[in-house]
Amino acid sequence: MSAPSLLRCRAGLLRPTACISRMNHRLLSTTRQPQSSEPSSTSDRQTHFGFETVTESVKRERVAEVFTSVAESYDKMNDLMSLGVHRLWKDHFVSSLNPGATNPPGMPQRILDVAGGTGDIAFRMLQHSHVNNGNPNVHVTISDINPAMLAVGRQRSLALPASHQSSLSFLEANAEALPSSLEDNSLDLYTVAFGIRNFSNMPAALKEAYRVLKPGGVFACMEFSKVDKYPLFNAIYKQWSFSAIPLIGQLVAGDRDSYQYLVESIERFPSQEDFRDMIADAGFAIVGKGYEDLTGGVAAIHKGIKPL
Amino acid sequence: MASPCVARTARCLSASARCPVARQTASASSSSSPSPSLRARARAYHSHDHPPSPTFGPVDRDILAAAYKHVPEHGFSLRAIGLGARDAGYPDISASVLPDGQFSLIRYHLVAQRERLADRSRELLKEEAPLSAAGVGEKVAALTWERLMGNKDVIHRWQEALAVMAQPSYLPKSLAELAALSDDIWFLAGDKAVDPSWYTKRAALSMVYSSSELFMTNDRSPSFLETRQFLHRRLGEVQSVGSTVGSVGQWVGFTLNAGVNVLRSKGVPI
Repeated sequence: MSAPSLLRCRAGLLRPTACISRMNHRLLSTTRQPQSSEPSSTSDRQTHFGFETVTESVKRERVAEVFTSVAESYDKMNDLMSLGVHRLWKDHFVSSLNPGATNPPGMPQRILDVAGGTGDIAFRMLQHSHVNNGNPNVHVTISDINPAMLAVGRQRSLALPASHQSSLSFLEANAEALPSSLEDNSLDLYTVAFGIRNFSNMPAALKEAYRVLKPGGVFACMEFSKVDKYPLFNAIYKQWSFSAIPLIGQLVAGDRDSYQYLVESIERFPSQEDFRDMIADAGFAIVGKGYEDLTGGVAAIHKGIKPL
Repeated sequence: MASPCVARTARCLSASARCPVARQTASASSSSSPSPSLRARARAYHSHDHPPSPTFGPVDRDILAAAYKHVPEHGFSLRAIGLGARDAGYPDISASVLPDGQFSLIRYHLVAQRERLADRSRELLKEEAPLSAAGVGEKVAALTWERLMGNKDVIHRWQEALAVMAQPSYLPKSLAELAALSDDIWFLAGDKAVDPSWYTKRAALSMVYSSSELFMTNDRSPSFLETRQFLHRRLGEVQSVGSTVGSVGQWVGFTLNAGVNVLRSKGVPI
């Protein structure tokens, strides 16, 4: 992602049609993203990129640009934007799933962490199952559409203990059409943390999750959500989102547009109830109200279970 | 005791196979409209015509029902839930979808025993039973005792359960379940009063029930004889307090009335 192309895109925010046509041109000429060069049946359908309306193939391309641009500073930026709270959310997410707790102890489990490029969730899963639950037979696959994010995860995984590294594999794949190497009914747990918002076609990704999970397997998603229950906190949160986060992005990562996209995509994401209904529509059974709010709803954990 | 209400409670008690509403819920989960079990459950009153929406969906009911069998051995624990999930044919990870962990299992016990009570009340209060002619007070005592006996099999694990129920995040749900229980007992006993005593009756019974339950966890007497005596002493106290309050109220009312009449007879314009 070069700086001039971002500038062009920023100009494009003001003149959306010009930007989209340029992006379409890039889409045809690029070779960097094998997934996006295969035209899918829905690639001309309308979807959202932040507050813009674009086609799905354009969104895929532009999300790729955003995350290629932010991969290096991803962790630092997460800490600054969430004031460190994202670590607590991720810890809670993993401990609530309790991977590796089996009866009898030590039974194998297969986990797929989608859009998990930098390994935040996957490394915690391994720590929880291998150390806390003493189960070394848990295998985690990190999947991401973006090779730059995966490269960051690969680099970071070198610092893990050897036993953890051997239980970890990486996969560059589009979550809306997972490769056939991931067989039907083969996974215990499918997680996606702060990723599903960027998917061009969420129902297709949910269907894929349903396909690869075993009957009784769990779909777990952590994503930014709505704070509508607390109007005062919501006002402060919105102010922080739309004023501070793009500014921090500009100062720290040197990239205002990517973080402007981030906050717009959060605003666009459906409410807790609507997203829960999307999960149910994909065929998952919902237990209880189906989601858990974190920090008043800034983020929410959604879970669904594939019926037997 | 109205018969439609018995039919209602019996219908909702059983598994979804016998319950048309629950079955509808299971199939509705794949449609776009949110199923009834997903909506906030608030029961304001007992309906004679409509069964209440089920507390648990098909998946969590399967897992919890299987886990419940492990409670006497493993307590209300995540281990019991894990073993139950396996028994029900689910992979180990599926235990993590229960939103409240071990409290889900405790709540399952509370709901199942409360619903069982509705079924039992049909036998206890049927026409030829000795209780059918008894007053509401005696019926309440009998139903409360019946509910306490529902804890018999898990009583050695119940102190742990009470400790979990008292945790701040679970306390509101525990209290709501206690309120639903005392409401059910008064309803099943045939109490139809809709005056302010509606509230005091339920509050008093909740206190009596929870203290008897606590007493029962330490009761080693044969067939919980001491708990039974404890329960009847507490119910007696509530009645005597109730009648004392009633008498005081009567006295205050009479005195005020008489005072006003005396003043009127002296020509005061009231």
